[in-house]
Amino acid sequence: MLMGKKPDKREIVSYEEANWEDYLKAYYDKPQSPRTWSGFEVKEIYTPEDRANEDYEQDIGDAGKFPFTRGIHSDMFRGRYWTRREVVGIGSPADTHKRAAFCFEQGGTGLNTIADITYEMGLDPDHPWAQNEVGLTGVNISSIRDMEKLVGDIPLDRVSWSLITASTAAAATMAQYVAIAQHKGYDIGILRGSIQNDPIHFRYCGFRPACPLDLSIKLGSDVMEFCTRNMPRWYYTTVNMYDLREQGITAPQEVAFGFGIAMCYIEELLRRGLRIDEFAPRFTFYVSCHIDFFEEIAKIRAARRMWARLMRDKYGAKDPRSMQFRFAVHTAGCSLIPQQPLNNLVRISFEALAAVLGGVQSLHCCSYDEPMCLPSERGHLQALRTQQIVAYETGVTHVADPLGGSYYVESLTDKVEEEALKIMKQVEEIGGMEEAIRTEWLDGQFEREAIKRQKEIDNGDKLVVGANIFTSEPDTSTPLGVQRIPKQSARQQIQGVRRLKKSRDVRKLSDAINHLRDDATEGRNTIPAMIEATKAFATTAELLGTVRQAYGYSYDPLNVIESPFN
Amino acid sequence: MRMARKIRVIISKVGLDGHDRGAKVVAALLREAGMEVVYLGMYQTPEGIVQAAIDEDVDVIGVSYLSGEHLIYTPKIVEEMKRNGLDDLLFVVGGSFPPEDISVMKKMGADEVFRGGSLTDSLVNYIRENVRQMH
Repeated sequence: MLMGKKPDKREIVSYEEANWEDYLKAYYDKPQSPRTWSGFEVKEIYTPEDRANEDYEQDIGDAGKFPFTRGIHSDMFRGRYWTRREVVGIGSPADTHKRAAFCFEQGGTGLNTIADITYEMGLDPDHPWAQNEVGLTGVNISSIRDMEKLVGDIPLDRVSWSLITASTAAAATMAQYVAIAQHKGYDIGILRGSIQNDPIHFRYCGFRPACPLDLSIKLGSDVMEFCTRNMPRWYYTTVNMYDLREQGITAPQEVAFGFGIAMCYIEELLRRGLRIDEFAPRFTFYVSCHIDFFEEIAKIRAARRMWARLMRDKYGAKDPRSMQFRFAVHTAGCSLIPQQPLNNLVRISFEALAAVLGGVQSLHCCSYDEPMCLPSERGHLQALRTQQIVAYETGVTHVADPLGGSYYVESLTDKVEEEALKIMKQVEEIGGMEEAIRTEWLDGQFEREAIKRQKEIDNGDKLVVGANIFTSEPDTSTPLGVQRIPKQSARQQIQGVRRLKKSRDVRKLSDAINHLRDDATEGRNTIPAMIEATKAFATTAELLGTVRQAYGYSYDPLNVIESPFN
Repeated sequence: MRMARKIRVIISKVGLDGHDRGAKVVAALLREAGMEVVYLGMYQTPEGIVQAAIDEDVDVIGVSYLSGEHLIYTPKIVEEMKRNGLDDLLFVVGGSFPPEDISVMKKMGADEVFRGGSLTDSLVNYIRENVRQMH
């Protein structure tokens, strides 16, 4: 009670009702289970005895040296900080350009744009199913005109741009990006950046009917082949282990399933006659950083070692760059909850720190408001500031792999690797990842794990502050404001594509579409014809629909509209 | 003695939103809690969901939104329910929304709203206590 304040009746009553017995019990609280997030039972302490069989050169090695357990560069962040790359995608290309520019202005160092659902499904905004959802989950793009607005004054020869897109749509995205770059006079050989182009993973984000597997792999491999031959500085596949993890799976499953998917692409490229060292250095990964700090660091270290050995031993890679596991981190969206939302800032900080201690190349910190809406401007800013505090204030960047040599972290790294290898072997026994997908074995794994995770929270095996411990009355407002998608942005996109479709040179367009259809039918690489068609103002749906038809599928993924070119 | 009918629930996505993990988990856990669950999956329309509710004779419609489409589809579903005389069904919404939108959706006609971080018991108990079984 404050000095000089008159005690009022209500206060006294509340003291009488206070449950001191319960409050004081917390003093004796201790962790309830010695298990990591993924379920590894860990010991009270790790000692030199746990590392008795360790061969440093063989199993760990200095940063920059095989098997790269400690990092892919010898100087790590002394050479350059990781790329601070916040994912941006809201409404129209102009809305998204504005937010991306804001992130740069505030010290972001890489672009990272994400497409909306309609685009990711290969629909134009005037599609009857698309109209309600244009721009809600990312940027809506349907033509080279939209790409032009998205790029605006950004110097494409100097930035590194990460294009997040889905499934079959990646081929269209790559073609549209190349088309705008060439239109603006850039030599595409010098463009830097990456495209997600991970056609398999999107099946597990609920987009199955829109992307038949054979066509997805064909188009994904077209992108990879095209870039190998024409864009030597471009990273043309980002295997998205992050989205897999978001389904509820464990850290070793994330690595094992992600590698299994990467191997599908490797094998397709080898079948096309490319050599492993020609393309493996351009593979990158998108990795989750979840809330179990040491386990996530161990996972990253294990993944680096496993990739190096996989490339050298299974695929016979000779170039050390083929053996370097390059990755970006997305802090775990599914670790965030809408209750007590400012707590998310704290979760994100720990996850970002784990990513950096793990030796990340590029980082997206979630915005604290992601379990409620798309990132608001202030949400984005806070995410960026989190990265900047880790980089510029904490001092954790001075030394490569500062946790290397920790008895615990090294042991946990071994443990994650051992378990991940076990799962990879299981997948191999099923007949490989394509078979595991075809038979829906993988679906079953996701299903089972997701239910397990919810039960762990329901029964208190996993504690989440604000959900099942230290709960409070629900908030009634979002602390830093809600991001809404401007209604006029969707309208503009719909009207824009309608106008475009009426104003094109029809002959030029249909020639380009015929060319694309021929290339697809005859099994040639479709990207050059997609670029040509994009320059003739073909839209996203027209590019992808034409290829779908050539492969015997309906023009429209939802089978509602007909091809205008029949 | 007549056995009490099990509570029947439809769980569905609507529109293009492909984030179906939560909906599937909810469907599985409601089944474990003894309810009969019809999982409609993705790419449903308000009309399709309500038609399925009639065909399957359910007591509860549960719809999951994770892509910011909740304020667009909630009134459409409510309208479709009213048009078909299903006002007495419980309409429960789940997914990712800002707290500001919870009361908005309730005004639109959603009976209750559950977000990420909710415990299964809270949902199961809510349904058991509020279901308006006519049978």
